[in-house]
Amino acid sequence: MLTITKSDLARILDHCLAGYPNEACGILGGRDGMVEKVYRMTNARPGPTTYEMDPEEQFRVMKDIREADLAMVGMYHSHPGGHAYPSSVDVERAYWPGTRLPNYPSAVYVIVSLLDRANPAVRGYRIDEGTVSEISLAVTEQLDDPTTTH
Amino acid sequence: MGVKVRIPTPLQKLTNGKAEVECSAKNIAELVDALEKDYPGIKERLSEGGKVRRFINIYVNDEDIRFVNKEETVLKDGDNISIVPAIAGGRLKNEVERLGT
Repeated sequence: MLTITKSDLARILDHCLAGYPNEACGILGGRDGMVEKVYRMTNARPGPTTYEMDPEEQFRVMKDIREADLAMVGMYHSHPGGHAYPSSVDVERAYWPGTRLPNYPSAVYVIVSLLDRANPAVRGYRIDEGTVSEISLAVTEQLDDPTTTH
Repeated sequence: MGVKVRIPTPLQKLTNGKAEVECSAKNIAELVDALEKDYPGIKERLSEGGKVRRFINIYVNDEDIRFVNKEETVLKDGDNISIVPAIAGGRLKNEVERLGT
């Protein structure tokens, strides 16, 4: 399970809607499956069906997360015209090139579908060695107060 | 004394679980060869035809080697090297989508 506050989820949705019709992306810093910090990233290859985080920005954010003694608990990107499920390319890129070794095995890949922009669908996945499994997302008012499951 | 190399999780099987290793090399191309000597198999993971693989980014201290001198980027003692897989994705134009789960 990945737990996120309502306000952090709103920040993610705002970012994805602002990026429409292109894909938007970001990194989630936190610990113990709880998102403590949302980093909105620049999509260096913007398009309605592509994203690639700006590499230098990604490097800086990963460093910031380490220095804050947090972990990269997840990352998000939007599917402006697709469902909230990883595409074959999303899965391929989650692995080290030419292997089935996940690049970020402990991270949850959060996907925001904007098929219905008035009501975006948000789902989380773990992409492990050859398998994609859904991880439930819990949305809370505050991190120490788990209430609803998204 | 040499350089310190931060090894990403998917390559740590090759470095016996080590997240950071030390090496001696004058540039990135030499570094890849030096790593291969100590951790056989790592060169093929990092490069293809002498070039760093697409979707793999290498940093010397805080500099992306693509904006310095790529594989010829010079290293000096005490440098910190980071190997970072890109975070990227996309959809093929003709991809048939799974309708949720």
